[in-house]
Amino acid sequence: MNMITITVDNKEVQVPEGKNLIEALKAVGIETPHLCYHPDLPVSGNCRQCLVEVDGPRGMALTIGCYTPVRASMKVATPASSPKVAEARKAVLEFLLVNHPLDCPICDKAGECLLQENYMIAGASNSRLNPDVGKQYHGNPEHSSTDGKGQHRGGKRIDLGPRIALDEERCIQCSRCVRFMRSVAGDEQLQLAARGGHTYITTFPGEKLDHPYDRCVTDICPVGALTDKAFRFRKRVWALSRIPTVSMDDSLGANIWADHADGVVYRVMPRCNPEVNRSWLSNAAKDVAQKIHENRLLGGNVSEAAKIIKETKGKKAIVLGGSCTMEDIAAFKKLAESFGSTAELFGGSLLPIQKADGIARSGDPVANRAGLEKAGINTNLSELLKRADEFELIITVAADLWDESPKEASGLDKIPKHIALSPFNGSTTKKTIFSIGIRHWLENSGTMINCKNMEQKLQETPTNEAAQTESARSIAEKLRDED
Amino acid sequence: MKVCTQNFGKNAQNIQTYKKLGGYSNIGSRLFDLSQFEVIDLVQRSGLRGRGGAGFPTGMKWSFVPRGNKPVYIAVNADEGEPGTFKDHFLMREDPHRLIEGLIIAGWALGARNAYIYVRGEFLPAIEALTQAIREAYEAKLLGNNIGGTKYSLDIAVHRGAGAYVCGEETALINSLEGQKGQPRLKPPFPAVNGAWNMPTCVNNVETIMALPWILENGPEEYQKLGTPKAGGTKVFCISGDVKKRGVYEARLGIPLMELLESEEYCGGIVGNLKGCIPGGSSTQVLTVEECKKANMDYESLAAMGTMFGSGAVMPFNDTHSIVEMLNTLGKFYSHESCGQCTPCREGTGYVQRIISCIANGKGKDGDIELLDSLCTGFTGTTVCPLAAALAAPVQSYLQKFRSEFEEAILKNPEHASPRLNANYRPQGWWG
Repeated sequence: MNMITITVDNKEVQVPEGKNLIEALKAVGIETPHLCYHPDLPVSGNCRQCLVEVDGPRGMALTIGCYTPVRASMKVATPASSPKVAEARKAVLEFLLVNHPLDCPICDKAGECLLQENYMIAGASNSRLNPDVGKQYHGNPEHSSTDGKGQHRGGKRIDLGPRIALDEERCIQCSRCVRFMRSVAGDEQLQLAARGGHTYITTFPGEKLDHPYDRCVTDICPVGALTDKAFRFRKRVWALSRIPTVSMDDSLGANIWADHADGVVYRVMPRCNPEVNRSWLSNAAKDVAQKIHENRLLGGNVSEAAKIIKETKGKKAIVLGGSCTMEDIAAFKKLAESFGSTAELFGGSLLPIQKADGIARSGDPVANRAGLEKAGINTNLSELLKRADEFELIITVAADLWDESPKEASGLDKIPKHIALSPFNGSTTKKTIFSIGIRHWLENSGTMINCKNMEQKLQETPTNEAAQTESARSIAEKLRDED
Repeated sequence: MKVCTQNFGKNAQNIQTYKKLGGYSNIGSRLFDLSQFEVIDLVQRSGLRGRGGAGFPTGMKWSFVPRGNKPVYIAVNADEGEPGTFKDHFLMREDPHRLIEGLIIAGWALGARNAYIYVRGEFLPAIEALTQAIREAYEAKLLGNNIGGTKYSLDIAVHRGAGAYVCGEETALINSLEGQKGQPRLKPPFPAVNGAWNMPTCVNNVETIMALPWILENGPEEYQKLGTPKAGGTKVFCISGDVKKRGVYEARLGIPLMELLESEEYCGGIVGNLKGCIPGGSSTQVLTVEECKKANMDYESLAAMGTMFGSGAVMPFNDTHSIVEMLNTLGKFYSHESCGQCTPCREGTGYVQRIISCIANGKGKDGDIELLDSLCTGFTGTTVCPLAAALAAPVQSYLQKFRSEFEEAILKNPEHASPRLNANYRPQGWWG
């Protein structure tokens, strides 16, 4: 990257070329408070929080950092050297807060709210509000009400769609969600309606916000206006711990944060990786936070399973699911080798491959397909379906074939013995003669190779279920030891 | 000398009458013998400056429009929303053909094939006169393909705005013209380079365009001589308020304000005792009586007095009016018209208005004047467009020049000295 020299607060610094001032100042360690600016969204420049002074034809003038590209030898002043910038930022913050309900104690965003953070950085000043002047809350006039103290309130708990709830009072009209739906999701379902102090976010009349990525709008909302119904009022964010891991929901391997507390995963958030999923995560990938605690298969006796395997003299098929990490694959390869020529490895899923959506899904349900292929495993299950008669035993590892496609999987019913290693208690485990609960991929550490051939690391999230189960890899090792 | 209003009251809405009065004489060899650059140079020499309020030299604005393969659009700003301004409405109603003639000249100079007249939706008589005039001009082959037998073609469309003050800002006007929400765009790029439908677009005020036929007919030097050395020509003033004859008057630039208000040729005197005067539309700084007596109506003189020439909306008021009430009305207007894009304007104009309204209703508190002043400083220069600054200018100048009235209004509140914060806002038990 080319570096250029600019003057920041009367000091010469080197910054990367082709960036805006927020990013360039960040590169030299100066944080600029901002609300509407998001690195993965087009600039709208409406919050006015990121004001800096830049030299121009009329001398140093206030301008917004997000819309000002760096150019060589430009002069920039931040609050460190310019009281004018400090005052301007403080003024913007006062305007943002003047009609804000300040209901932080009951707001889901409290603790990770950009407005709170900016208040600590840029403002932290006392209120000058006169109670007679009062606040004018935002919202659709149809949603307004009068509260117990007789004060006129804006819209609260507005049902925007099946997954999203809106609090119109808290909204600061930064238009991040509108721009996300327009330029990332490509489906302009959200709009800013009305004007001036009456502006509010809404959908088209009679329509609901319903899109495979609509839960992203809650991630990018800088305040607590848009909330995810699945996470609303479930946990204070400061009580959550974050694990950086990778989503094995599909073969893109979207980078995620698993936010957990007390052995429960409360939510899954996108972890920004410009080369993989940028800042986005599909609803399906986010659903894992709920699914991981439902219908789990716990327990199972490994020596019992080893006995069944030992008794089987015929051919054995081992089917590895798409969420098996490279370490799992290696362990099962070793296990298969210990069985000699009677065992054969397969991988994949019976789910159809869909088209990539260009946002954060590749459409391929076999997350680690590249890894399975690298290990020399056939990832097309039609081979196994064709030759089902040859086998006496099938071991499915995190491959719930009967849940994925009962019709196609019925071709495997002719295999007399079936052992399932699965995190979930579904149709597949019901078909088996013996099943062992294993850890879900979110509770696993390891490596996966995504569809772009990038090696990505998973880390384990400590859940209550993880404490009661073992990973597929260690079960494979135990089976080998027992053998 | 009358330039834009010479046909007032002469039934010039009709093309025959307009032609009889000497109209459309430019559309022929006088215009088409000149090259585009010669016309721009001519306008530059005339000293014509934008009549919408900012006073940017028109010829210079035109010279920024790039010459290339891209189509160039002209948008006429007839969205006249500034409180006190009503000149464009009358100009279009009384003399629509002059606007069309001016547009042909501007279109030729800029190489534009299409022109749009963005009219405020409420101006029904003006819109009727314009559409009628455009129809007549098409019939007379003065618009459409091959005007006057030349290769030049121009189409004019009238676009009705939906009544938003902010759409008088050129980028908001372009957004509205395109069918989007009327909100100003971030600059750069400026519309002269990247405007309507991402093409170079020149936005000019009605009065600016209507001065062009006269300039072409009589020469730029003659026009320049009508005004001051730095700004040529005449200005159409719309005078309302406490004068005997309110109305639209055309006068030379640089005319003393008191001559405009008191001479029989114009307003014919003030009703009551003059208390002050708004010189150029509600968003300009107010003048006190002493300042009024010294003021000359041109860009530089008024700028030297710390106010603006603006759109020519002169509003003198006498001592029967309460400054606090006037500011309250203005505050309501600006907070209602904020587009809601930028934080300082969206939240700030409403906040300032609520404080003024509290003072006006006898609920003001000590320190409110300082609070208003600092809030206005906070939203001046921090927004995309100058709408917030357009409220800050009157608020700060009213507070500065008529401070005693605000202080009196605050003293009417028996609890004016009580603390600003109500204990209910910060329960002591919680916050310590």
